[in-house]
Amino acid sequence: MQNLFFRTLLLGASGLVLTAVPALAQAPAKAPAATCERPAEGFGCLASRPPATNGPTPRMADGKPDLSGVWQHPFVQDMTRDLPDQKGEPNIAQLFTPWGKANAVEEFDYTAFCLPLGYTRSINSPMPIEIEQRPGRIVMLYEMNNTFHMIYTDGRAHPKDLEPTWFGHSIGKWDGDTLVVDTVGFNDQTRIDTQGHPHTDKLHVIERITRTDLGHLSYDMTIDDPGAYTKPWKNVRTFHLRPDWELLEYNCNENNKEVMEGHLKPPAKK
Amino acid sequence: MKLKVASFAFAAGVLLAVAGPAAAHHSFAAVFDRNQPAKFSGVVTKIEWSNPHAWFYVDVKDDAGHVKNYACETGPPNILIRNGWRKDSLKVGDTVSISGYRAKDGTDTFSTSEVVLPDGRKVFSGSNADEDK
Repeated sequence: MQNLFFRTLLLGASGLVLTAVPALAQAPAKAPAATCERPAEGFGCLASRPPATNGPTPRMADGKPDLSGVWQHPFVQDMTRDLPDQKGEPNIAQLFTPWGKANAVEEFDYTAFCLPLGYTRSINSPMPIEIEQRPGRIVMLYEMNNTFHMIYTDGRAHPKDLEPTWFGHSIGKWDGDTLVVDTVGFNDQTRIDTQGHPHTDKLHVIERITRTDLGHLSYDMTIDDPGAYTKPWKNVRTFHLRPDWELLEYNCNENNKEVMEGHLKPPAKK
Repeated sequence: MKLKVASFAFAAGVLLAVAGPAAAHHSFAAVFDRNQPAKFSGVVTKIEWSNPHAWFYVDVKDDAGHVKNYACETGPPNILIRNGWRKDSLKVGDTVSISGYRAKDGTDTFSTSEVVLPDGRKVFSGSNADEDK
């Protein structure tokens, strides 16, 4: 694995040398268009170029697309913005309900205290996901905080009287070759993105995921929350297959010095 | 695993030119102050290869000759590894030049956006300072 990893890393690096050298020589930086338009954007760009993965969409025995794989997805910190592999909704602020407007500013970022990121911020994160598709369910594995989530595709409905949770309850249905994931049952403890766009416990997330070929997922997320927004809005992304990656370990509270040493303090209770 | 550290550090340096810094688990602005950019050089005294951030510490001498130990935050191991670094890519005793941002609380705590060895190789660079604008 290590050999493969480094071979791929070097292969990716050598592929980038021609375009990257001018940047190193202090000439105006021009990143390869297919990789990243804004070098300072970190994992909004691709960390390294994914290996070429040409081929048709793989399929399950029942003929449905198989979404399985390790996927590198864009780091979506602010769902108003357009960046490589992500297209935002620029007018979120115009869609606020009075409650949304009153709660638009986050006083502190709960994730600094190692609380769960919640559903939308987990797939917004800079760390990859692995999708494991089985008959009747799709298992979402997030490297961010090494957590998981189930999407039930066996035809069940959302349970009645769901207790609110950080990740909600997800069911998936196929619309042709597109998986439509419907998630409800959220608590009101999270934010939609790092920027801090708010939501209520009425949040309803709809994702449409299409494996357009072997190496790519077309992904869009619709935020439907009548408590915070006057109408639904959308964020559109492209994910890249990383057959050269395994999910790695990540945890939040091993050495969270920012909190342990008091660099970050919660706001005083009102 | 035949490749030497220098080889992949070079590869990583090349990648960094297009990849930029890594990210943290929360917003940069929660802890660090974008209006307090800092540049300093010093000698590495300790490395913590840990989650949710790796940290390293450098002794920095001021104009009067007083030495202070600065705490420097960088990305977590998973992100550093994918950028080509290993725990020993930066060593105690290395002299490094650092660009970063000071913590809002005014302590000698910094988010590092760039860490450069004397030979020009970049290591461990990984704050989310430039992402969170």
